[in-house]
Amino acid sequence: MRLRWDKVSTIVRKEMAEYRKNRYILLTLILMPLVMCTVLPLVYVIPITLLSPPPTDQPLDLSIRVEGLLEDQQLVNVSINNYRIENVELVNCAVGSCEIVNCTIYSCVVSYSNISDSQASSSIISHCNIWSSTTINTINPGSVFLGVESELEQNLKLIVNALLLFILLIPSVLPTVIASYSFVGEKLSRSLEPLLATPTTDLELLMGKTMAILLPTVLITWLSAIPMIIIVDVVTQPLLGYFLLPDEIWLLAVILIAPLFAVLSVLLNVVISSKVTDVRSSQQIGGIIVLPAIAFFIITLVGLVILSLTNMLLFAAIILALDALAFYLAVKAFKREEILVRWR
Amino acid sequence: MIETVGLGRRFEGTVAVEDLNLSIKDGEAFAFLGPNGAGKTTTVRMLCCLIAPTTGTAYINKLDLRDAESQLKIRQSIGLLPENPGLYESLGAYRNLDFFARLYGVSAKDREKRITELLKTLNLWDRREEAVGKFSKGMKQKVAIARALVHEPEYIFLDEPTAALDPEAAKTVRDFLLELKKEGRTIFLNTHNLDEAQRVCDRIGVLRTRLLAVGTPDELASRFFGRATLFQLREVRPEHLQALRSMPNVLDVRQEDSSLIVQVSDPKHDNPAIVSRLVAMGAEVSYVEEVKRSLEDIYLKLVGGG
Repeated sequence: MRLRWDKVSTIVRKEMAEYRKNRYILLTLILMPLVMCTVLPLVYVIPITLLSPPPTDQPLDLSIRVEGLLEDQQLVNVSINNYRIENVELVNCAVGSCEIVNCTIYSCVVSYSNISDSQASSSIISHCNIWSSTTINTINPGSVFLGVESELEQNLKLIVNALLLFILLIPSVLPTVIASYSFVGEKLSRSLEPLLATPTTDLELLMGKTMAILLPTVLITWLSAIPMIIIVDVVTQPLLGYFLLPDEIWLLAVILIAPLFAVLSVLLNVVISSKVTDVRSSQQIGGIIVLPAIAFFIITLVGLVILSLTNMLLFAAIILALDALAFYLAVKAFKREEILVRWR
Repeated sequence: MIETVGLGRRFEGTVAVEDLNLSIKDGEAFAFLGPNGAGKTTTVRMLCCLIAPTTGTAYINKLDLRDAESQLKIRQSIGLLPENPGLYESLGAYRNLDFFARLYGVSAKDREKRITELLKTLNLWDRREEAVGKFSKGMKQKVAIARALVHEPEYIFLDEPTAALDPEAAKTVRDFLLELKKEGRTIFLNTHNLDEAQRVCDRIGVLRTRLLAVGTPDELASRFFGRATLFQLREVRPEHLQALRSMPNVLDVRQEDSSLIVQVSDPKHDNPAIVSRLVAMGAEVSYVEEVKRSLEDIYLKLVGGG
């Protein structure tokens, strides 16, 4: 079928001119991103930062003076000071000012030491620098965990990933609102018949309408991500010492997955609009389009799927496949005769 | 030229139009009459390539409307005024026309000239930027007419253009249609307004799913009522009736008060002989005139209302 871009761009420009005059569309285009990308990040991120203890990523200055080496043995009920301890199993020991490397620490009191690549359980570890080690049932007053995520960092990352849902809700919901006015509104004003009588092909009309919804949606989604990123970084940087966003998952979600979601939403709205007669029904049924986004994030939040780059790419591929299916259905629904005879 | 050949359309078992054979010459103004649901709108939609026929076909300017490529060319050559103006109400009149002119591929220079011309002709120029949603029905209809003409189409299809308009607005629209007719455009008018059809159009077709009749109003009157002449006498006597009935070319004679309504096959040839016969019999003939049948009579006779 013929596709002439000058016809498509004419339709896009007319649609945009109509949006500018539609107070409801304008308010939705402004308010929804505003709430999603400024209010919600503040509501979600600030409480986490207030409730969690501030971490520090600076190692404690311990000035350890190593005087000897203990390695490859088990030490029970001993007190050790100023030693480098490697590959040792420490049980019921009191350890101070030592370099502890690759050790197992059980039921010990360790203070003013550097601990790396070790495992500690049922112990008290105070005022230590801890690298790449795990602690179970262990009290860590004044110690600094280095090279691993703090509880705050873990919580913040979880929340920031959840915020992605809000970013993806924008391209899912905005097209529903605009399309319900664009298609159903055109039906109600009976302006479809003269439009269909013009020398444009069905594909040109479909593309024009689709692009007119897609362009503002994607643009607003991208613009909305900016204040969200700024807010998250401004709130979390003083606590984490680095900028949490944008990371590669966020970039992928905003740049690729959001537009794919927008395409899906627009095309499904075309199909829905062909079946309903009023704006409200169109919006209500169109609401189901957000379900894939919500489902994916619930799955990730409960830990069934990790929000990794690979999983995001897989998610993008699934949405792309759904886009192709939706395009097929939309082309099938968007036929002149169908529109005129059945779109009532 | 518009030519339909056995054109028909069914909607899920319901026949909307059946076996329509019609030929409309270029520059002709043609009116389609028929009751609601007769298939007039369906016919226009088929001719404008909006819906496909289920049987037969039609040719617009020799282009077959079943052919996908021809459909674009056909749409390019027609202007459609649907039953509802169907304007973009939040946009101004100029913006509405500009949008359609672009879709019809009118060049930027011609676009501006043509839109200005149309809006000035229809007295809408001063309100060209105002949202058409604020316009009266008549003004909206004018914008819709301008939209149908913005690309200077050869064929103009109008579906009930004056329905729901006040008499003044209807007259403006009608006058504009007469202007278009003068310009030599081919007009296809769907209407319930018999007076409008008679004033604007050269020929009339009466449709009720099938085409019941087509022709000029005079042709239709003659076909369905014969050609009758009224002879106004001072006094009608029974022998007058008897004498006329015995004349070879007289088809029918009836009396209405002091008038005789005489039906003959060729009034021009037969009426002088009738007058002579009546005068010879001592009748005083006050005047002679042709009995005109209104389009309403023809229409009602055809669609079964009279």
